[in-house]
Amino acid sequence: MIDAEKTIVVTGIGVVSPYGIGWAALRDGMLAGKSCLLPTTDLYPGFRGTLAQVGELPELAESHHFSRSDKLAVVAALDAVSGFNGSSETLRESGIVMASTVAGLSEIDAEIAKGAADWYRRGGLKRAATYSVSCVAAAVAETLKIQGPCSAVSVACASGAMSIALGANMLLDGAAPMVLVGGSDALCPFTLSGFNSLQALDASPCRPFDQNRQGLNLGEGAAVLLLETLAHATERGAPIHAVLRGWAMTNDASHPTAPRSDGAGLAACIHRALERAGCGIDEVGYVNAHGTGTPLNDIAETHAFERAFSGRSTPVPVSSTKSYFGHCLGAAGALEAAITITAMLEGALFPTLRLTEPIESDGVDYLRGELRRQPLPVAMSVSAGFGGSNAALVFGRSRP
Amino acid sequence: MNATQITGIGSVTPFGPLAGLLPSTSIDVIAPRVITAWPTPGLRRAFLVEPFRPAAVVPGLKTRRLDRLSAWALVASSLALQDAGIDLSQMDRSRIAVVFATCFGCVELTEAFYQSANANGWAGTDPITFPETLSNAPAAHVALFHQLQGPNLTISSKNFAAESALLQAASLLRHGQADVAIVIAGDTLTQAVYEWYEAAHLLAPACFNEEPLTPTTGFIPGEGVVSMVLEPANRRQARSYAALRGGRWASGGDALGCVHQLLSGAASPRIFCAGNGAPCTSSSETCSARKIVGPDAVILPQQPVAAGLADAGALFDLLLTLSRRPGSGDALMLGTAGVSGFAALHLELP
Repeated sequence: MIDAEKTIVVTGIGVVSPYGIGWAALRDGMLAGKSCLLPTTDLYPGFRGTLAQVGELPELAESHHFSRSDKLAVVAALDAVSGFNGSSETLRESGIVMASTVAGLSEIDAEIAKGAADWYRRGGLKRAATYSVSCVAAAVAETLKIQGPCSAVSVACASGAMSIALGANMLLDGAAPMVLVGGSDALCPFTLSGFNSLQALDASPCRPFDQNRQGLNLGEGAAVLLLETLAHATERGAPIHAVLRGWAMTNDASHPTAPRSDGAGLAACIHRALERAGCGIDEVGYVNAHGTGTPLNDIAETHAFERAFSGRSTPVPVSSTKSYFGHCLGAAGALEAAITITAMLEGALFPTLRLTEPIESDGVDYLRGELRRQPLPVAMSVSAGFGGSNAALVFGRSRP
Repeated sequence: MNATQITGIGSVTPFGPLAGLLPSTSIDVIAPRVITAWPTPGLRRAFLVEPFRPAAVVPGLKTRRLDRLSAWALVASSLALQDAGIDLSQMDRSRIAVVFATCFGCVELTEAFYQSANANGWAGTDPITFPETLSNAPAAHVALFHQLQGPNLTISSKNFAAESALLQAASLLRHGQADVAIVIAGDTLTQAVYEWYEAAHLLAPACFNEEPLTPTTGFIPGEGVVSMVLEPANRRQARSYAALRGGRWASGGDALGCVHQLLSGAASPRIFCAGNGAPCTSSSETCSARKIVGPDAVILPQQPVAAGLADAGALFDLLLTLSRRPGSGDALMLGTAGVSGFAALHLELP
């Protein structure tokens, strides 16, 4: 028996990605198998690498200076509610949970290190005001005139997925009638330089889960999902894109940056999410992996899938869609949730691009080559991040 | 909402590193200190944490490579667990969550990373520093040190990060996603942050002279970390500092209606104001709350030492209020931010 008050559904999806503005642009680009990863040299002097950038953004009514992450979030949020047919009062009372890791870092240049007070006097004051990740959520609230509970979550590359989990909890608590959840991160010299210093970047387009993978490519973007209970959505006649059947968050507690090599933390997270969803391991038709393309992540993640889906009748189909437009950091989990829902709605299992020699695994079916078409009632998206954090989301096409 | 109990407290504040409540005699004598950690254009003051050796407080802590925020989070969370009487070796650590609230995150190392970019160019930055600039590094270190494998969150909410963290932690417990939650809230004060406040004309006159504190405009920046252990009411027989009965934070809207709803059935609660730097005692929300609970309502203003922590200050304010032993009964913790919203927590004091 379904409890419509406790069933969380996705009724709106907004996306800004290197494919352009809108969920449809993401869908069309991915169905066409188009890679947005391009050689780039202009982010800072001395950088040569491969990135996926978002083009020009529309003008926004900014009550104060917005960072690029703020703008990406606002444009995605506007897209998510573009088809909203409910009352303005309901939207005003909604909650917001936005993820970001970059936030206003894109607005602050290295000159600040020569003297912050002087840099502020030269115009940096309003730019530095965007520094806190809370500004991303606040920008969405201000633009959409939303007055409900408003938070940002910053848990490295698992942030975007965690925003969805927290938003679902808020709905179960009755904290708001609807919640806008998602993530947004802009490309900037700070993060690009940081990943470059760690030698985590592949100078060429990345090859997640390939035995010859060399690292990740960074991307930028934002995705925002409108969540509400099934009861609320039904009452207002909202379109239901997917059911968020399960979610879970865990921590490896094993290393400040590296994932636990045996994948136990992520496997536990997947297990808990499936348990909450009431799903058996054989029901999952597709897993959108974290799949960064780094040597450590992809092997740990493979072990996690082998553990979590051990005993399954067939290898679990897995792909990394970071091969299409890179790793969007705090936005990644939300973008990949949108992609997972797209996969369910289209009956399309997106392959990992450029995957020629997959990591050997008996338990994992690494999707590669042509797009695979099949009905997909249940799919999953998993995320992980620096600091050992893991998040798993289980989506269903229809009511459980 | 079933009540969640606060069973342990640890803190690293201008009062020093402490387990449990603060000594009530010291609360009112705390004064801002003159800043000497960086060159200032004249006298500048703030509520600063005196340097201390973390391993002297929590044996076995290794913090040499960490920034102060991570080190303080480790100390405060360890003291809170100790204060709660929790023996982690007897616990399922996959069922313990960490929820960290901050405004600026690891701003010390972010500044250090900018220094390396300024000195060497973006192509020559420091790989050791970079991962530690992420806001979730302190919460991750807490998980790593205590081997906590439950949900690990870092939250930032404009004006109300600490309130939001408390309520989200309580939510994790309520939905069975954790058995115990360690809430941590705080920030460090750096030269760039202080100079930003000064450039934005947000500082109180007391930042620039050594006169006694007087109610005035502006605030005195501060730093520190407070941690509280949350457990469901029925988990074990444990001492409780307060029960969190419910709450709400919002970026705008009807604070009065929300407070009314929260307090329905509560008898003459005290009201105490949270430290987000915005005037609270005289705010329209507090005036409205006074109307709800009656003219005899006791209203405790926010503490200047906690107001300096801005978004993450409410946990410090809660600690200060509990340390004053305000008596038993219902209490409303209220934070306001003008048109930018409010936060309200309904507490029951033992």
